[in-house]
Amino acid sequence: MKQEQSWRIHTIGILLTVFALFIIVQMARIQFSPQADILRDRGRTRVGYYETIIPARGQIFDRWGHLLAGNKTIYEVGVVLAEVENPNTLALAVNAVTGADYEDAFAAASLKPSDDAVYAVLADFVTEEQKARLEQISKEMDTAYTQGKNKEKPSLAGLRFKPHLQRSYPEKDLASNVLGFVNREGKGFFGIEERFNDELAGDPQKVWVPIDPNKVEELRDIPEGASLILTIDREIQTEVEAILDKAIKDNGAEAGTIVVMDPRTGDILAMATTPRLDLNEYWHYDEVFVDSTPFNRGVSKAYEPGSVYKVFTMAAALDSGAVKPETPFLDTGLIEVGGLLIRNWNWGAWGPQDMLGCMQHSLNVCLAWVSTQLGANRFYDYMQRFGIGHLTGVDVASENPGRLKIPGDSDWYEADLGTNSFGQGVAATPIQMVTGISAIVNDGKMMVPRVLLSMIDKGQQYNTSPQVAGMPISAETAHTLTEMLATSLEVESSDALVEGYRVAGKTGTAEIPTPFGYTSNQTNASFVGWGPVDDPRFLVYVWLEKPTSSPWGSVVASPVFRQVVERLVVLMNIPPDEVRNRLMESQ
Amino acid sequence: MSLKRTFFGKTGDVVIHQPLESINRVRNLTQAYSQAPWRRQVQYIGWFLSLLVVAALIAGIYLSVTARTATVGREIQVMHDEIKLKEREIEDQLTELALLTSNTEMQKRAGTLGFQPVTSDQIQYIQVPGYRHPRQVVLANPPANQVPSAPSLSPEYTQSLFEWLRERIFEPAAPLLREVRP
Repeated sequence: MKQEQSWRIHTIGILLTVFALFIIVQMARIQFSPQADILRDRGRTRVGYYETIIPARGQIFDRWGHLLAGNKTIYEVGVVLAEVENPNTLALAVNAVTGADYEDAFAAASLKPSDDAVYAVLADFVTEEQKARLEQISKEMDTAYTQGKNKEKPSLAGLRFKPHLQRSYPEKDLASNVLGFVNREGKGFFGIEERFNDELAGDPQKVWVPIDPNKVEELRDIPEGASLILTIDREIQTEVEAILDKAIKDNGAEAGTIVVMDPRTGDILAMATTPRLDLNEYWHYDEVFVDSTPFNRGVSKAYEPGSVYKVFTMAAALDSGAVKPETPFLDTGLIEVGGLLIRNWNWGAWGPQDMLGCMQHSLNVCLAWVSTQLGANRFYDYMQRFGIGHLTGVDVASENPGRLKIPGDSDWYEADLGTNSFGQGVAATPIQMVTGISAIVNDGKMMVPRVLLSMIDKGQQYNTSPQVAGMPISAETAHTLTEMLATSLEVESSDALVEGYRVAGKTGTAEIPTPFGYTSNQTNASFVGWGPVDDPRFLVYVWLEKPTSSPWGSVVASPVFRQVVERLVVLMNIPPDEVRNRLMESQ
Repeated sequence: MSLKRTFFGKTGDVVIHQPLESINRVRNLTQAYSQAPWRRQVQYIGWFLSLLVVAALIAGIYLSVTARTATVGREIQVMHDEIKLKEREIEDQLTELALLTSNTEMQKRAGTLGFQPVTSDQIQYIQVPGYRHPRQVVLANPPANQVPSAPSLSPEYTQSLFEWLRERIFEPAAPLLREVRP
């Protein structure tokens, strides 16, 4: 009996041991089998998921902290496929409210739910109002159709809204040419948005988001994109844009540009050009900028500036000692340089003149003579020192370097020296002109134009410093030329004069080259001016393209300069010269 | 001394009673001091129950801590979502504020209130000693004022027991117990 019991116990023991061994072997087999990885991956998907966190794009402010570019919440509309009851209703509603394509939405909502297909996107970039409308429709349907589940029952079951941020421009088209825009993929185009895209966009990071609360981790600190403070002054930009629009309309011009700079720092206070785009609807870009129109003429469009360029020629001649303000010149109305006959703008002979008279009457013949006194080498050396033909380094995308032919270039001829002296045969952008002329305004120091004033990164504000691009002329030359140009405006009783403020400036009227030469009677009318002469606070460049009211810069562009300055002195708190001098004396 | 043989039951010529008595005495003593079988069973049951209670205690503590961890973890998840929501709300409200104070809106409001743009001849300038017009806005601290950022969670919340022990061992000066930062 005892032996029998012992046998049974041993048998059961062996069986249980074998069973236990089998379990252990099976466990090991499962752990190391090829399917184990699949199982582990499946397990991981239940524990959490990887999410790419796109930090909020940095904001853009004007110099006083007014928001020019921010972000707002919009929604991605999707469906949880397992909850979908009626794909047709979903597609119809999404199509009606958001304008998304019905066929695409229907196809997405009709997907069969599986391990790989859990959620489908029906529409994106849906506004808060559209989201509210969809939610309302969903609620109304739930109330109206309460009977159970069937495929015919209209239902928006399964609808989900996933919020994310999109660029928003509260000032719409204000300074749009400077700002540029951001597309739906978050990439910046043109202007500041393109130039500082990497800084503004921040650093998107993939993070593990645990679903299991026991595995929850501290949120990784993903800093948002850097914010930028621009040198642009919103109030000045608004006024300048309004003046430009009116000037274009009143003069029947094709387009226009006005740049306002603080010559002491190179700060661009305003840069108004046409056309402009409501940046919140950037998809109209193709309709607004037709025929390869540049987004910002101020930095991207080089043109033959005409007589405003004479400022450089005279500056070079005075600085090099080739001429003095009182140097006499007998204007016969004709001069030959390199085999090319050069005449004055009115084809007249102006008789005995000095350099002041040459600038005052904007005599091509005189300036061509001045360039021959300088000689080609010195002339082009100075032009390059003024930055003509080079990028200025302005921190806005798509800058055009313009074109300055120099001796040695295959397409340079001796005659170019004569024509270049009065701004023909040379192409420069408004920002190049402003940068070069800043040397004359700022005691000979040429400032690098800047649009970025400060960058706020990780909670700290980093200010940029004004940079001197060079000193092409001496301070003495700068003062002499400024005095000559201020006097010439006063003697001419120019339309550019501003009551109470002494300003200096120069007009420019340039014929527009065509493939057949300067045959067109269309012109580019320009004016560059600055003030107050004894303590310059602003430098204004005006360019109107193809005005029809009058071809002359003195008629078309000079009054625009005056209108800009009249607003500038108010917005920049610049007292009239007399008041300012009295206040300074009393200090 | 010669060993005497002792027989139980059947003896030889001489029956010696003295050793048998001793054996009986020892047996009685052993019996007197040995545990009764039922007592031994009770002891086993006691040990088993004690182990069971300890195991239950450990399981209970583990369950309680795990449940609390899970609750706190869930709260953290909810807070993460709230942070995201708040960040979006802040962005929305900043943009909304900018829309309400945009140049166009402000000009419209100023016009409605009867204001007109001032011209230079309407302005009177006065000297204010010590006043300096700001040249630009300051929206954040300059880099010089940088304060080193401390981790938002103190080590007490992130260290494992082993890490804590290692830190104590390699930093003997550190107190074994310290006040947990709130």
